[in-house]
Amino acid sequence: MVSLAQDVASSHRSGRMSAEATWGLIMLLPYIAIFLTFVLYPVGYGIWLGTDIKAYHRIFDDPIFLRTLANTVIFLGLAVNIKLLLALLLSGFFVHERRWIRWLSFIFILPWAIPSIPTILSFRWMLNAEWGMINSLIFQFTFQDGPGWLLNRVYGLGSIITIHIWKYLPFWTLILVAARLTISKDLYESADVDGASGLQKFLYITFPGVRNMYITSTLLSTIWTLGDFNSIYLLTGGGPADSTQVLATLGIRYAFGMSEVRAGVATIIVALPFMVPIVVLMVKRLRGEDR
Amino acid sequence: MASVSVEAVRKRYGALEVIHGIDIKIPDGEFVVLVGPSGCGKSTLLRMIAGLEEISGGVVRIGDKVVNEVPSKDRDIAMVFQNYALYPHMTVRENMGFSLKLRKAERGVIAERVKKASQILGLDPYLERYPKQLSGGQRQRVAMGRAIVRNPQVFLFDEPLSNLDAKLRVQMRTEIKALHQQLKTTSIYVTHDQIEAMTMADRIVVMHDGIVEQIGSPLELYEQPANLFVAGFIGSPAINLIHGKLRRDGTRNWVATDAGVDLPLDGNAAGQDGQPVVYGIRPEHLAPSDSSGLPVTVSVVEPTGASTFVYADLSGAQICGVFAEHHGIHPGNRMNFMPRLDRVHLFDAGTGKRLAG
Amino acid sequence: MSPRKAFDEARLMLVGVLILIWTLIPIYHLFVMSITPQAEAFAGAVWPKSPTLDNYTTVLTQGHYFLGHFWQQLFNSAMVAVAVAVLTLTVGACASFAISRLRVRIGETVSNLALLTYLIPAAFLAIPMYATMGQYGLLGSRWSLILTMVTFASPYAIWMLRQYADKLPYELDEAARIDGASPIQIFWLIYLPLMMPSMVAIGTYALLLAWNEYLYAFLLLSADTEITLSVALGHFLSTDDAPWNLLMATGIIYALPPAAIYYAFRRYMVAGLTAGAVKS
Repeated sequence: MVSLAQDVASSHRSGRMSAEATWGLIMLLPYIAIFLTFVLYPVGYGIWLGTDIKAYHRIFDDPIFLRTLANTVIFLGLAVNIKLLLALLLSGFFVHERRWIRWLSFIFILPWAIPSIPTILSFRWMLNAEWGMINSLIFQFTFQDGPGWLLNRVYGLGSIITIHIWKYLPFWTLILVAARLTISKDLYESADVDGASGLQKFLYITFPGVRNMYITSTLLSTIWTLGDFNSIYLLTGGGPADSTQVLATLGIRYAFGMSEVRAGVATIIVALPFMVPIVVLMVKRLRGEDR
Repeated sequence: MASVSVEAVRKRYGALEVIHGIDIKIPDGEFVVLVGPSGCGKSTLLRMIAGLEEISGGVVRIGDKVVNEVPSKDRDIAMVFQNYALYPHMTVRENMGFSLKLRKAERGVIAERVKKASQILGLDPYLERYPKQLSGGQRQRVAMGRAIVRNPQVFLFDEPLSNLDAKLRVQMRTEIKALHQQLKTTSIYVTHDQIEAMTMADRIVVMHDGIVEQIGSPLELYEQPANLFVAGFIGSPAINLIHGKLRRDGTRNWVATDAGVDLPLDGNAAGQDGQPVVYGIRPEHLAPSDSSGLPVTVSVVEPTGASTFVYADLSGAQICGVFAEHHGIHPGNRMNFMPRLDRVHLFDAGTGKRLAG
Repeated sequence: MSPRKAFDEARLMLVGVLILIWTLIPIYHLFVMSITPQAEAFAGAVWPKSPTLDNYTTVLTQGHYFLGHFWQQLFNSAMVAVAVAVLTLTVGACASFAISRLRVRIGETVSNLALLTYLIPAAFLAIPMYATMGQYGLLGSRWSLILTMVTFASPYAIWMLRQYADKLPYELDEAARIDGASPIQIFWLIYLPLMMPSMVAIGTYALLLAWNEYLYAFLLLSADTEITLSVALGHFLSTDDAPWNLLMATGIIYALPPAAIYYAFRRYMVAGLTAGAVKS
């Protein structure tokens, strides 16, 4: 806020610059107001709520919380990496110049373009152990009952990861397609002349070309996946018996389901030592490339 | 129209001073060119006059009025930018009329002024086009049209021709000059191209490292360069500069180079015997000679058709001569370059200043 | 075509078919359920024996307990989405202009704060945001949702608009200043017209973000007449014998507007995302 004072001071000092400095401040004001009232204050309030040590004892004594930590790590590790590896592979498919691939890319983006609630709920019903389409197909072909997809931790987490990937794969594929398109075609042509195999071209041209973007995407996707509430809440609701909760949903469950606001906040804060470094790194990366 | 006066103007960015106190008086109606190598401060000075940069010290007057604190829009100036800065979303007509529209001029007045400007510049057929549909030269004209519809006190040009190809640049140079002769609006024109400066200016301001090296008419700068920098900057190909010591023995004067060559001077050269000097002679003031003059060995011959550039070695110093005729000169030839003694410039080797005389 | 080329082409096709199936399965199921009559809703059939549009009729006529306020909720969703888009555009356009064109001294700080906010997952702020809205007395009002969504959409708006704004030559502003334009005239007459394509992208982004939001809508709104359609869809889950066929029909109606808007402005969106969201 020191520089704000300087701005005001300089606008008084120099008559000529004043119109611009004044208008600049006025035009920044709406965002500054939003930031102060709806970001800074809630964050500060949240941190204040999170200073209660008892809340941490409470959650670390809770086996559900410990399982949730494990779930979060599993969810992040698998969902982010499988999603981005698939995106990297698929970006190689979508860079082919074919009319039908262009059309396919319109359809491929659908999961990302439409709201997740209907599609996740559709997936949920499809996976219903007794009445869902999947198990009814399994029964038709094998005359055996399929597994209770959402009634078991392993299948539940697997389903969550699947729907998460289904929803977000198109976005990251799009990003990596854009990254691939920045690689000069000359490189591939000269590699062809040098007799490189497809794998060699990928290793020595494609991957170095998209590596930076791949790392940026992994970091960003890690943060956003950490905040994915819908895939879990709408598919399994964290169940059965809170066995598929992640930090984002458990925090909400503590605060709103069990009226333990401080435990809820503590749950989120536990993720910060992991998240903040990534956020800082990302700010640096995004800004550095901006300059 | 108005005079412009720049008095002890300085520009600082934090602790770094880039313009160190500049004084220029520009009478009403004059076409002044600020010229100098890049980084000399010429554009910064122009932008201070335009009100796009704050003035750190000194005073800028337009007419009688100090404008240091006056916003650009109230200085009654017009500016042509290097990249034209045409509004991409407006047609040529809208671009040209924009300033009048902002000043709430009547529709009829705007239409009339735009029409007049477009006639002067030959832009009539393009009024409804967008900038991206125009060629470089046409965009340049629109930028000028935008300036002239305003009928401002002063025109400012910031390297307006440097984005054009060589042929168009020569053509636009003439057009701008002709326009000035027609409108007689005080103009300040920034360029790094000394030929542009020489051909267009009433007066040239040569700038270097944030100071003014010399102010004068093109011919004054050419004939009486105040120092080594101006001598070297003005003229193409560049003046030959040879270090040596001034010698006078009562009957005649000359400059003796370290390599032992004697460079002839006329009788009334200034300076003291033994003084270290720089001997300057422009390539076009050397004549080929068989017997007298500077003995050289020809290294490169560049015929341009109209004239021939001959680069030659004078006891280790490279010198260049420009001759109207080819004279059958070939690399390896030994010959003599005869300087026109009335065209020789002498500079003090220490200060770089011209020795009066 | 050489055999090798034909083989490559066939391999591409195979991948394409797999992608198509993967992408369409949940959407296909959504559609199938939406045309399945109540009696068959628990059959798990790949295609209903007697497909029907009755579900849609029921939804549009508010003919079920869960759908009593369908039209109101649809309106709420639209109203929130439009308000968020308009406010985000206003905030983003003003801030990006101040930062990039007027070069306000605190601009860089604000820009960094916005970027930081953009990177925090929205779900992580849910609890304090809920408490804050309670303190502000906005809980239960659609304004709480609108303001929350503007809070989460505007950092990206500022970040992206700024990237585009920085690419506009600064001489345009200088020329306009010399032509006699005030900062506000430069904003209206030069900046906004030139920023139109990215404004469309940002507007679409904010609109979709708000329309699609579930968590905050569900936390901040409670009355049946205030909630958005996304929350209403979630309410179906509150009973064990939910009418899934009606839920799916409602879901399709809910999904259509954003899909249509996305495809209408796809050109702007893709360019914006690939240039602004993550830069390599």
